[in-house]
Amino acid sequence: MRVLVAEDQVRVAETVARGLRREGMAVDVAPDGASALEKARAVTYDVVVLDRDLPEVHGDDVCRALVHEQPATKVLMLTAARGTDDVVEGLALGADDYLPKPFRWAELVARLRALERRNGAPRQPVLRRGDVELDPAAHEARRAGRVVPLTAKELAVLEVLLAAEGRVVAVYDLVERVWDEHLDPLSNTVRMAVMTLRRKLGDPPVIDTVRGVGYRLR
Amino acid sequence: MTWVRPTLRVRLTALYGVLFAVSVAVLLAASYFAMDEFLTSTLPPPAARDALEGLAANYGVALVGATLFAVAAGWAVAGRALAPLRTMTRTARRVSQDRLDERIGLRGPEDELRELAETFDAMLDRLESSFEAQRRFIANASHELRSPLTVIRTEADVALADPRADVAELRAMGEHVLEATDQTDALLESLMLLARSQRGLVPAEPVDLAAAVRAAASLETPRARQAGVRLDLDLRPTPVRGDARLLERLAGNLLENAVRYNAPHGFVRVATGRRDGEAVIDVANTGAPLDAAAVARLVEPFERGRRTGDARGAGLGLSIVRSVAEAHAGRLALRPRPGGGLEAQVALPLTT
Repeated sequence: MRVLVAEDQVRVAETVARGLRREGMAVDVAPDGASALEKARAVTYDVVVLDRDLPEVHGDDVCRALVHEQPATKVLMLTAARGTDDVVEGLALGADDYLPKPFRWAELVARLRALERRNGAPRQPVLRRGDVELDPAAHEARRAGRVVPLTAKELAVLEVLLAAEGRVVAVYDLVERVWDEHLDPLSNTVRMAVMTLRRKLGDPPVIDTVRGVGYRLR
Repeated sequence: MTWVRPTLRVRLTALYGVLFAVSVAVLLAASYFAMDEFLTSTLPPPAARDALEGLAANYGVALVGATLFAVAAGWAVAGRALAPLRTMTRTARRVSQDRLDERIGLRGPEDELRELAETFDAMLDRLESSFEAQRRFIANASHELRSPLTVIRTEADVALADPRADVAELRAMGEHVLEATDQTDALLESLMLLARSQRGLVPAEPVDLAAAVRAAASLETPRARQAGVRLDLDLRPTPVRGDARLLERLAGNLLENAVRYNAPHGFVRVATGRRDGEAVIDVANTGAPLDAAAVARLVEPFERGRRTGDARGAGLGLSIVRSVAEAHAGRLALRPRPGGGLEAQVALPLTT
């Protein structure tokens, strides 16, 4: 799951990004509205966490532009204004959800996951295919009922493969969903992560490599 | 028997009725005595008595009738004249803190009542704008206080949500939380200062503005050096009377602003002295170009110049400067500096 945190309070942005990465999300940070728009045009984010009081380009304008240009991206508005009127106004701009500051961490994560589930085809909170099972909120993967210990990145790769329901996932898509903008595109990080995941999930192997395209969950 | 409430209308009517009755009675009495004299000298006594009795009865009826008519007319006229007062009472009853947009808007002749109504409306205008300013201030203050609170809550929440968080991470969290509480503290201090200067009760101790600026400059020098900004001081003794702490804060805020919203390799020029019988602090700084509208907004609470991503500064600096200057019967003037930046001047009454 790829998330953009657009927030001008550096401290808050960094902490939120750190926490979300720990949850296995790929997170980029934008300190102002202009760079938020620039990044959201380059990558299709699953969710943009948008502070309403952004400098350069105001959060409201970023929201309008995103709704218009990136209909697949969900917007979660984050602001210190907590009156009902503010919430109504924010949602009317096209935001998919609204969370007043200061927020509880668990609530932010839960709302982000809920927004992701509503993205594209409807999805269950727990994903299953064959004997592979994944509960993203609990960070838990099972094969034939046995817990498989996975890292945050491996969990995220598995989530993307499960969500594809047997279709081939292009390497490019995998990179966009699971890694943030700091990934060196020439490295073999992705291949290594998929190989370790395949090994950890055990025999018989469930991840196929489709040469020149990507990967598929059998 | 129910007692008639002695309203202004009742009293005016009664007064009018009594005055009318008395003057008509005097007139009729004079006429009666004149007739009495005339009839007794021209008619035989029995005929004269009859005629006078008839006249007295007629005069009595006329007095009662005219008085009743006068009271009725007086009641109606008083009611009309006092109608604007009733409108004002109704409006005043409707006005409350949440409904300050009510106005009397009295039409009609330019009389005393119209003047009263207009005075009342003007007072409501002032009340409305002051309540509005206060509401905005409170909204902004709570918004600003939520920023450091968000940092604190997020830092603590994220660190604690990780069961494997190590000492280094928890330490970093602690430091960030401390930083945010310092910020909250500074913000509250500024709010208190603003409230104190707005109370308008300022002690009158002798203060030298040059000394206040010198103290502020020595505090600001490290930041200025770090930002690559030159501080030029031209300080002449400038005695005023006032609150030393507030005036030091005024100088401090002026300098802090001038350094913070500056340009690399820029300068801040500060001068104190007497001019045109006033004590003056002049602060000019280089910086981003500003237009007149942006400059006018700078004294509004929580308004910041182009933000630099630096979370310090709640945007109260120049509001405090203005408020302190006004509490000392002085004023703050701001204008864009030609070529970018700001020119600020504080003028206070000189001590003679």
